[in-house]
Formats: sequence, C-alpha cells, structure tokens
Amino acid sequence: MKIVLNKVMPFPLASIQHGETSIWGNEVVLEHGKKIMLNAASGKGKTTFTYTVTGLRTDYSGLISYDGRDVKSFSPDEWTDLRINKISTDFQDLQLFPTLTVKENLLLKNNLTNVYSESELRSMLDHLGIGDKWEQKCGLLSMGQQQRVAIIRALSQPFEWLIMDEPFSHLDEANTQLSLSLINQRANELNAGFVLTSLGDTHQFPYDYTLNL
Amino acid sequence: MLRQLLFRNQDRKQLIIAIVGSFLGITFLITSIHYLVKVNEFGCGNEILGPNTLIVQKKVNAGAIMGLAKTDFSESEIERIKKEKFISDVKPVISNNFDVSFQTDDPHVPYFRSDVFIQTVDPAFLDVKSDKWTWKEGDTVVPIILPRDFIVMLNTFMSASGIPQVSDELAKEIRFKFTIKNDDKKEFIAAKIIGFTNEVASILVPQSFMNYGNNNFALGADKKITQIMISGKESEFGLVEDYLTKHGLESKNSQMVVGKLKSIVSTLIVVILGISIIAVFVSCLVLIQYLQLLMSRNAYEVRTLIRIGYHPKLIIRAFFMYFMKIFGIIAVAGFLVFLVFKFFLDGILIAGGLSIGSSISLYGIVSLLFAYILFAFASYKTAQRGVMKEY
Repeated sequence: MKIVLNKVMPFPLASIQHGETSIWGNEVVLEHGKKIMLNAASGKGKTTFTYTVTGLRTDYSGLISYDGRDVKSFSPDEWTDLRINKISTDFQDLQLFPTLTVKENLLLKNNLTNVYSESELRSMLDHLGIGDKWEQKCGLLSMGQQQRVAIIRALSQPFEWLIMDEPFSHLDEANTQLSLSLINQRANELNAGFVLTSLGDTHQFPYDYTLNL
Repeated sequence: MLRQLLFRNQDRKQLIIAIVGSFLGITFLITSIHYLVKVNEFGCGNEILGPNTLIVQKKVNAGAIMGLAKTDFSESEIERIKKEKFISDVKPVISNNFDVSFQTDDPHVPYFRSDVFIQTVDPAFLDVKSDKWTWKEGDTVVPIILPRDFIVMLNTFMSASGIPQVSDELAKEIRFKFTIKNDDKKEFIAAKIIGFTNEVASILVPQSFMNYGNNNFALGADKKITQIMISGKESEFGLVEDYLTKHGLESKNSQMVVGKLKSIVSTLIVVILGISIIAVFVSCLVLIQYLQLLMSRNAYEVRTLIRIGYHPKLIIRAFFMYFMKIFGIIAVAGFLVFLVFKFFLDGILIAGGLSIGSSISLYGIVSLLFAYILFAFASYKTAQRGVMKEY
C-alpha cells in the first residue's frame, strides 16, 4: 500500500516555520515495504503525523491518500478493515488498558486478528524480557515494560505499514535493539514497511530513507 | 473480555436505584393494565346484553297509582335522554300486545306451558351475532333470549320430575314453541334459545317477530313504552345514576352497582396506570442516563478500542446488549411479580364475589413489549451516539 502526503499541513502547525525538506507542505511518498525514519525535534509534529496518517485526525489541509484514495473518504467499515489488516500503530502514549493484565491487553487485540497463539505471545514477551508480567495489570508496569507490551500488541496483526511514535523512548539500548529486531523480523515476514519517529537517534538501524519535519 | 473492560468500573448504587425504579414501574404498569382490561371485561361475555346497558323505567309512586303521573315514555322524552353527553344510545323496549304462551315441545323434557310476556330490544344492545338474531314471516323457528331465572325454574321443575338438570348449552338444544293468538286465530311457532340474560325478566324476541305478532294478533290500542334501554358511556356511570335519580327513573340495582363499581375501579386503575407510565418513563430515563455516564467514563476505552481495530458497531452492540439484558431481567422479574400479585388479587376478588377472568390480559403483555422496544431503541441510540462521539 502506497501512502502519499500531498502538501499536508495540520492546522495547529500552520503557524510554525517548517524546513524545506519537511513533510509538512510538501509531497511525500511512503513506498510500500520501505523502512523509514521520521526525524524531528520535540513539538514539530511527530505525533500529529502518526494521527493524521492513520486517519485519527482530519484537521489538516492537503491530501493524504492510500493507493490513490483520500483517507477522508473511508467509511468506518473501511477504517476498521484497514486497522486490522493493513496499518498498525504503536502510539507514543501507548494506549494500553491499565486495568487489564498484559495477557488481556494482548488478547484483546489478538482475538480480533488471530495472528498468534497465547504461547507465541508469551514467548515474544519472554524475548523482550517481560515474560513474567503476563498476569500483571498494565497500569502497574514501568513505562519501559508498557512500551514493550504496546510493541507486541502492534505486531499482533497483519499489516502493510507499522507506524511507531517514539516506541523506545523509555527503553535502554539493549531492549531497544531487541525490540527493533523483533519489529524488523515481523515486517520482513509480512513484506511490510514501517515509519519510526525519533528525536534523532537512529538506533543503528539501516533505514531505507529518512524523513524530516 | 470486551465486557470486562467496559463494565468493570461501575457505580453499582446508581445502577441498582435505576433497576429498582424500572422494576417497580414495569410491575405496576403490567398489573394496572391487566386489571383495567379485566374490570372493563367484567360482566361481558356471560351477559347477552351489551356492556354498560341499563333497562330503565319510571319510578312508580302514589301519583302514578292514582293515574296522575305517567309511567310511560313519550318520543320527546326518549329524544331528550338521547341528547345527554354521557349516554351513547337510547331505544324503547317494545312489549307484546297479543296473547302468547310458551311451552316445551320436546319428548326428552317434561311438558309445561305458561302464558308469558315477551319483549324486543334494538339489536345494537345485544351481544349476539346478527345472523342468529333474525326472523321473517314464514320462518318456522324464532330465536329467543331467556331470562336466566328461567333455567333455574326449569331445573327445579326437572329435578322435581326426577330428570337430570340441564346446563345453559344443553338448554339451547331443547325444543320450545310459542302459541300466539287472538279471539279469531291461533298460530304455533317453534322457538330456539340462543342465549340468556340476567337483566331482563321477559323473553326477548327479534323485532320482526314482535311486529308480526302485534300486526296480526293485536288485542287493541298500541302498547305504551314503559321501559327503555340506555347505553351509558364507559366510566361515566356516576353521571347516568345522577340523571336517573334527578328524573325519577330507576333501573335494576345490580346493573347500576356493577356499572358504578366498574367506573370507580376503572378511574382508580387509570390513575395507577398514569403513575406507572411516569415511573417507567422516569426510571428508563435514569437507566439511559446511567448508560450515558458509563459511556463517558469509558470514553478512553471506547476510543482506544476503535484505534486498535474494533468496529464501532461491535462496541455499540456490547453496550446495547448489556442494557437489553438488564431491562430483560427487569421485565421478566416485573412479570413474575405481577403473576404473584395476580394470584393474590384474584383470590381477594373471588372471595369478594367478583369473579373476573383468570387469563392474562394481552394488553398487559403488549405494554411490556412496547416498553421493552422503546427502551431498546433509546439505549441503542444512546450507545450509538456515545461510541460515534469517540470515533
């Protein structure tokens, strides 16, 4: 799925001066299967990018299209299908359910998609070092632990694009590398691309290209 | 798991208050509608005269005995009564002006014969099918409606003769015949019972038969109209009674008592019904408000579920089904308590001599269904609005 941002300018960012290479106000193409880093300082609109490109915000001028179709024209049915099968999001504020356990948070998503078995989910948690948190409420986990749960939830579906908004901001380098390798492996399995927003740290990953805000 | 997420953190106290309010409202609603219908049905069915019908005559006083006051009704008097707003119809009761006797004509029933008094009333006052209540010159059988006392008398007679007593239905199979005559001629006509009445003391015959008798066997001058039938409007029997008292008219006491009782009880039940409807409405509003509160508390959950791929319809359905189950439990509990009420209330009424129908009124069940559908619609719309607000 090709995503095109054509002269997109979110209204709240219209008064800010943007660079010549900024995605805001220019034409940007997210080519199918590419691994992209979106690099910007705080307040430049990384989260706004995540929300606009996934259809959660529509307060912008210009056009965002999936395979040539304006995302503003999608019906609730179409967005539901896209969010289950084509575009997955890892939010900066995680958007987990703090009163539910790690298991319940993961199954709530996985029950929709049936991508993994419970044991596969547990082994992914093990891989990221939080296998013992399976029955713990998410609200009781540290931010770093919650970030890893949110990453696994985002991977628990088929996708063509994975949009991640500062997914490793509370992780140490070792856990960041483990998480990034898991994400890359899953993207390769699905022949999917991803966009990873960052404050500048590349995490030594060979991105196909970098976008700026 | 979705339900666990959305309904885990609730203010149970508010929910319980709303449930109790709805339960009481529903229970009183179905109970009051049931008894409103049953009270209005009371006396109908067994009685061949239509509901709210009175046979009225002028009070016989000393003046009438001395011939100073009239006991018959003139055309203008009948018209004046008809104009009263609480009276839906007035018709004269016509009596025979010829000699008529009535006798059994059946080998299975002992012979008896008696001179009788026959009357006719407008078919609009009778609860009989019109095809059964017809007679024309040349017909060999005339349909009749007998005073129920006649069956009592017949059974006494049969019992004394060592013959088994008969029921209403069996009595309808017995063959009878009329003998109508004057000084010059005599005619026999078979009669068939089609129903019974508690309210009239004479044998009722179709108007055409009465006309035939009066035209061909009349003894002299036209008979005066001494009785009229009045059909009072539903729940306005108090006004009818006032009118009768004020104008020196009287009716059979039991008819008035039943009519008055029905009016009073109906009015009381209508008041209870009104309160029940308000109670159901208010408690449903509280339940709907509770749903709105629950949705606003779960705004984050609803928004996040949509963002991770849950279809809004799935979330709407979760809220809708939850509240439909609650209201379903309320409706079933209300209905069960109504059955318990009914068991005791019917017992009290029977003990008091008021045997109302034991079947459950369809209107009560329809009202319950209507309340359920209305609540379903309101809760679906509320859930839809709440979820789509987060979309």
